[in-house]
Amino acid sequence: MKNNLLYIEDDKEIGAWVSDDLSERGYHVIWLTSGDGALDCMEEIDLVILDIMLPGLDGFSIGQRLKKHYPMTPILMLSARTSIDDKLQGLHFADDYVTKPFHPDELAARVEVLLRRFGKISPPLIQLSHLSIYLDQNRIIDTRSNNEIALTGKQFQIFTYLLRHPNQILTKEQIFEAVWGYPYIAGDKTLMVHIRHLREKIEENPSNPQIIETIRGIGYRVKQ
Amino acid sequence: MRFRHSLLAKYLLIIMVALIIWPFVLPAYFIPSYLLDKDFPQKAQYMDTNKLKKMWHHEAAKLGGFSSEKVDQKLHTLKEQYPLASMFWVDGAGKTKLVLSEQKNIPAQWTLENSIEFMNQSDEDPVTFVSYIGEKQSNGFMVFQIPPSITKLPTLSLIDDKLLALYAFLVFGLFLFVSWLFFFKIRKRLIHLQTAMTETKENGIPEKIAINKKDEISELGKAFNHMIDELIKSRQYEKEEEGLRKQLIANISHDLRTPLTAIRGHAYTLQKEPLSSKGKDSLHLIENKVDLLSHLLENLLSYTLLSAGKYTLQSKETDIIRFIRESMAGWYPVFEKEGFKVDVNLPEKAIIWNIDPHWFMRILDNLYQNVMRHAKSGRYIGVQIVDYEGETAILIEDRGPGLDVTTDKKGAGIGLSIVSLMLQEMQFGWKIMSSPKGTQIYLYEKKENPELNKI
Repeated sequence: MKNNLLYIEDDKEIGAWVSDDLSERGYHVIWLTSGDGALDCMEEIDLVILDIMLPGLDGFSIGQRLKKHYPMTPILMLSARTSIDDKLQGLHFADDYVTKPFHPDELAARVEVLLRRFGKISPPLIQLSHLSIYLDQNRIIDTRSNNEIALTGKQFQIFTYLLRHPNQILTKEQIFEAVWGYPYIAGDKTLMVHIRHLREKIEENPSNPQIIETIRGIGYRVKQ
Repeated sequence: MRFRHSLLAKYLLIIMVALIIWPFVLPAYFIPSYLLDKDFPQKAQYMDTNKLKKMWHHEAAKLGGFSSEKVDQKLHTLKEQYPLASMFWVDGAGKTKLVLSEQKNIPAQWTLENSIEFMNQSDEDPVTFVSYIGEKQSNGFMVFQIPPSITKLPTLSLIDDKLLALYAFLVFGLFLFVSWLFFFKIRKRLIHLQTAMTETKENGIPEKIAINKKDEISELGKAFNHMIDELIKSRQYEKEEEGLRKQLIANISHDLRTPLTAIRGHAYTLQKEPLSSKGKDSLHLIENKVDLLSHLLENLLSYTLLSAGKYTLQSKETDIIRFIRESMAGWYPVFEKEGFKVDVNLPEKAIIWNIDPHWFMRILDNLYQNVMRHAKSGRYIGVQIVDYEGETAILIEDRGPGLDVTTDKKGAGIGLSIVSLMLQEMQFGWKIMSSPKGTQIYLYEKKENPELNKI
């Protein structure tokens, strides 16, 4: 199933290039050169890519309006305005902010992450070395023995949080606060213990983990 | 300001009132005794001796040619009127007739000798009036005597009259109190004014003062309020100008970036075409230059804003360990892609620094970018917390050729200038140690200068 992206950009050259590139990457792109009519097609849109300097209403106003009506649709600001003030203003309602000039691979990666984060794509099956993960069914199968791996609630939450942020390094503070829901206290070993138990269950060799990678001094990452 | 509203007028009024009431102060003291003491009018009639004397002569003159009984009768009436006086009269033959007196030594028959004796014997020297009846010696004379003590006016001696002393003290005290009240109020208002001028609102401007009087201090307050208005106006103007400048810079940035994005897009599209290896190299170079130009632009604009003081610093307590870790999480893939060894070594406890997170992110980004651009050959970046000359410091380390080596990738200058400016604004210190084997950059929180605190 193709994801529908709404792309609002007034520069013809950039607009044509980006919508072509994203179409090639397998998205269905609706490209508008101004905010007019954006609300009308929001029903089937999975993600909005929004410029700021637009004829008529600016991107901030459009974005706020869209977010108000469709809070569950992620908005990615793509702008040549790079000042901190602009970024802060944008991130009040938008979910990501990419500055021009950007690399198309980076844009695609960020779009992917946002779609994942908002549950717009839940791949029915994630294949990670010897694991088959059915995220929507909360099932993890060891393909070597075809046995289901049973995780505790917290282990599962940690694992899915990492899976929903593919290829992203997550610090232990981020993981802890996402899973436990309260601020991480420096020196707390709870998360490390949980990850060790998690690895014992899912890794082939827990002392040399391949699935959940440790980035020393920074955090953890699941490559997909 | 009208004169009647002024403080001067008020104080003059106080002084005037004091001067005017002064003559009435003493009489006022006797009013209660005059009203309360019923004998007072009685006593008062003896005080004016001239008047008594006249009265006595007058009465004596009227009695000319009257019989002894008539004279007796008249004396009785006078005695009733002046009960404290002694009276007697002597007929033409020198014989004492009616005596209305407690005095025992009045001779029955008046001769020259006993007259003199009578005059000398009274030890108290009474006030005495002698008048010939009918103004003729032959008719005899009548005598009116009162003790001198009762003819005296009431004394005004503060020593004798304790009540009067207290009264005078009270009157004087009242005047002092009113004066004090006057100056106390002025002082209070001045202090209030001073506090109002010193205390500032969150915008750094003091609040306006409420004015409900029309005197000199209120005029001062009005002038102060006027000044506040001017200050607010100029702040507003400054803000507008700042906004315009930021807007201008944002627009320039935007207008330069849009074509850069298009170049990047075309280069990317070209990459997908079949190209010779030379063509591919060129394309790669174009992409790199686009990146470099974009960073330069960013730094140039930041520097312009920063050096003009147009970035506002918003420091807050931040756990620097967590902050470094999160910034490194973003940069790790970039270094990883270039084959860097990333060595992050942070302690397991929070270190709280007072920083502006956006600024600090910018500082770290610029430093990482520098490593990425100028120290690629070292393939190493290390970030750790160390002790630098007694301060907790962040150490960012690379194994590049050092900063002194000129590379073809210029632009480190402005990036580091921004770092320097931002650190200075945030009261941070930094130290670069560069050698051909690598560069070490230490960032540390400056201890507040004790010398500065003294002032």
